[in-house]
Amino acid sequence: MGLFLFSDPLFGVWNWVDAIIRIVIVVLVMTLVVMYLTYGERKLVARFQQRLGPTKTGPAGLLQAFADTVKLAAKEDIRPTNADRWVFEFAPYLTFIPVLMVLISLPFARDWGVRDLSLGLFYVFAILGLNIVGMLMAGLGSGNKYALLGGVRAAAQMISYEIPLVLSLLSVAMIAGTLNLNGIAAIQSFTPEEGQFAPFIFLQPLAFLIFFTAMLSELHRAPFDIPVAESEIVGGYFVEYSGMRWSMFQLTEYASMWAFSVFGSIVFFGGWAVPDTGSWVGPDWAWQLGITFVKSVAWIVAIMWVRTTVPRLRIDQLMSFCWKILLPMSIVQLLMNGFILIYDWPHILLTLTSGAGAAALVAIIITRAIRRPKNKLVGTYRQARAAAQ
Amino acid sequence: MTQPAAAPQYPGISALIHKHLSNVPFTATTTGTDADIHVAAEHLLALVEGMNQKPELAFDMLANVTGIDMGEDTLAVKYNLYSFTHNHRVQVTVTVAWADRVIPSLTGIYRAADWHEREAAEMVGVVFAGHPNPKNLLLDEDLRIHPLLKSHPLQTVEILQGIEEGVPGFKF
Amino acid sequence: MTVWPEERAQTIDSFNTVDMTINVGPQHPATHGVFRMVLTVDGEVVVDCEPYIGYLHRGLEKLTENHDYRQSMGWWDRTDYLAGMCCEGAYCMAVEKLAGLEVPERAEYIRVMMMELSRINSHFMFLGAFGADVGSFGTSFVYAWRERERIYDFFEEVSGDRMFPTYFRPGGLQADLPENYESRVRWLLGSIRQGIEDLDGLLTGNEIFVERCRGLAPMTTERAINLGITGPILRATGLPWDLRKAQPYSVYDRMKFEIPVGEQGDIFDRYFVRLSEMYQSTKIIEQCLDQMPKGLVLNPDLPKTLRIDNAECYIRTEGTKGEYGVYAMARGGVKPYRMKLRSPSFCNLSALREMVVGSYVADAIIILGSLDIVLGEVDK
Repeated sequence: MGLFLFSDPLFGVWNWVDAIIRIVIVVLVMTLVVMYLTYGERKLVARFQQRLGPTKTGPAGLLQAFADTVKLAAKEDIRPTNADRWVFEFAPYLTFIPVLMVLISLPFARDWGVRDLSLGLFYVFAILGLNIVGMLMAGLGSGNKYALLGGVRAAAQMISYEIPLVLSLLSVAMIAGTLNLNGIAAIQSFTPEEGQFAPFIFLQPLAFLIFFTAMLSELHRAPFDIPVAESEIVGGYFVEYSGMRWSMFQLTEYASMWAFSVFGSIVFFGGWAVPDTGSWVGPDWAWQLGITFVKSVAWIVAIMWVRTTVPRLRIDQLMSFCWKILLPMSIVQLLMNGFILIYDWPHILLTLTSGAGAAALVAIIITRAIRRPKNKLVGTYRQARAAAQ
Repeated sequence: MTQPAAAPQYPGISALIHKHLSNVPFTATTTGTDADIHVAAEHLLALVEGMNQKPELAFDMLANVTGIDMGEDTLAVKYNLYSFTHNHRVQVTVTVAWADRVIPSLTGIYRAADWHEREAAEMVGVVFAGHPNPKNLLLDEDLRIHPLLKSHPLQTVEILQGIEEGVPGFKF
Repeated sequence: MTVWPEERAQTIDSFNTVDMTINVGPQHPATHGVFRMVLTVDGEVVVDCEPYIGYLHRGLEKLTENHDYRQSMGWWDRTDYLAGMCCEGAYCMAVEKLAGLEVPERAEYIRVMMMELSRINSHFMFLGAFGADVGSFGTSFVYAWRERERIYDFFEEVSGDRMFPTYFRPGGLQADLPENYESRVRWLLGSIRQGIEDLDGLLTGNEIFVERCRGLAPMTTERAINLGITGPILRATGLPWDLRKAQPYSVYDRMKFEIPVGEQGDIFDRYFVRLSEMYQSTKIIEQCLDQMPKGLVLNPDLPKTLRIDNAECYIRTEGTKGEYGVYAMARGGVKPYRMKLRSPSFCNLSALREMVVGSYVADAIIILGSLDIVLGEVDK
């Protein structure tokens, strides 16, 4: 698999210098991407809502992101008096650094990432779990009850949804037989005669649905924006932040959205590898970068589309959806994959079982919406406590 | 030979009320829209409870409570009641002197009376005996003025904190 | 150390949690104005709720007592500022009842038409804001806003102002409608129906929206009546009671429309009753257009200054949120002796504690949203 390992330094310099150069490139690109993601989101959401979005700053409002950045950088950095100083001030960095670290392992084109890690998939979700620490710190350290609620909600939600997220990725990794992201992308481009290796979204539609749902939850995007719900807890854990520290949180949000989009398109859509650009005119890496870009943009558009369409879930509905539906379904899928792969049954079964699961998931959601509950749902916890006393 | 006192007139719905609640003494007039029952404060609870309970009357909704400063140190409280069952309505008036401006609270019968009575209490200074939560509603919590008294000036810069309780309006 | 079962149980019992108090408002995105409620929460469950109102108290009644009958018009449509015409209608009816004034028939029809447009306007605001409360990132808001702007444009054309038209007068109207009003209103109705359909499609069938709203804070009819709840919330409990039908005023008795009702009075029913009501309002407006007579719009016998001797009345109208009542008393002179507003939002809001306690924080927000309060009306 030497083809897929980043064995050679890109610029022919020492390994560590090469790494630094690559990180600088990725960070610069990320900053630009995040700035234009905010612009893109505003524009796109505006179109969804029959508005225009930013139009004044530059042609078609293209410089709006720069104006916002300047404004945010120039704003006063306020710390509330009853905030826990160090916890409050370090929280933004602790939320941002894990996202940056995730970007290290993503292959944007064949042989082009910062580093190709042989346990890339494992690394990604190990690092993403660290995000919670910063959010909890922000919630606890702000000395604000809304922030506290937001931080606690964020922690509960992210810990819960990490499990189906990981399990859905594991079921993909089982088929791929590798945890290397570059390898996972490459394996999807193989088109042997049996036609058994297609992009994993066809092999594992259920895993894709679970991953997408859990990803929305990890990103705190609608309908899972419970920790940052504006109409309830006015922004959640970053309610007390301003200026640069606040923009760190925004940067985290959009950078992780981008990171997840690239990651998801690698795992499920084949990343740079599908379609195979080997015989196309022009430089291979440019096509591959373009394909990665297009796929991640599709993910981002999907995320925004969902955001403008659906309302927000309640925290208990969110939790029960995770523990009662997503988790069992992902475990069952994992088991089915195991049977199919061990006994070497035809790969079409993977598609069938997973497709049935995906259909079941959609059916569950629809029936839950249609049925009308007999009794009052809320307050059961409190009533049970009162009865017990 | 003295003329016997004319039998009291009971216009509109008040005749029905008198028929079913003959033990409660009240007089009745009409307003532009409703029959208006004048009852003494001590009989109010009995009257309203009866009007609520009797199935022929079934006044199940308290629509409105209005406190009015009638001048000459009297206050009036008007209750507008409505029956969903029979689609009829009536107004009950209680007039009290400022010196003993205590009226029994209707919160035991109508939960809707809660905020209405709090508002009337702060606006004109009626005291509703038995109200579960007699705090100011629209005004600041520690204000002890009654703005809808006629003696309360309309256009004056008001320094409102710490005004003594029990003063009808106040002097500047 | 071994923990025996008894000691273990004791440890759990002695692990006391403390309820937290959250101050929601007076400035909070969910309070739709300046309203404050203090929530006592146990984790995410609301244990107690204490509403505080009065931040927008402008002394409406005191002002009305101290001004001429016609001067007061301006602040009565600032009560329910989402449907100014409905408030003006109630106020004018009270003054007309006190003074015994007749209103020309054309003026009555125009009034009904404008009041129904206001109702649609207010319900659009509810749908939009409620969608935002439930968390749909402003999409419903913008959908609703599109139609509201068009209605406001028509109001501006008619009266010169958008939100606070001051279009009605005791005894009629300020001015007749513009020449092309019929085509304008019919176009407006088509646009409104499109807007209702858009919002219906966006929210009603949405799984998450239904999941959030169904079965939440149900209310029985008896309970609602005892709490003084009127309007769409009362109708959502299943009681087809609408003052426009129960005790018709103006020319509502000539209109054909239905009263949409819900089943169990939960949040979804309240939402759906309001949505269906808007269709009925468009029907009423169409009938107004069809039946509109010609003639004057202001009573020609109206005196220059209204002087009303001893009179008293309690006018009940179906405002957008419920029974919008005006108690009026005159004792001579050019000013009313007492004007009391019985605002529906005020009474509906007083039931907030009943509905909120026991729910989650997120639900408390949408329960508040489902009450559709307007703080100008609550605080007077």
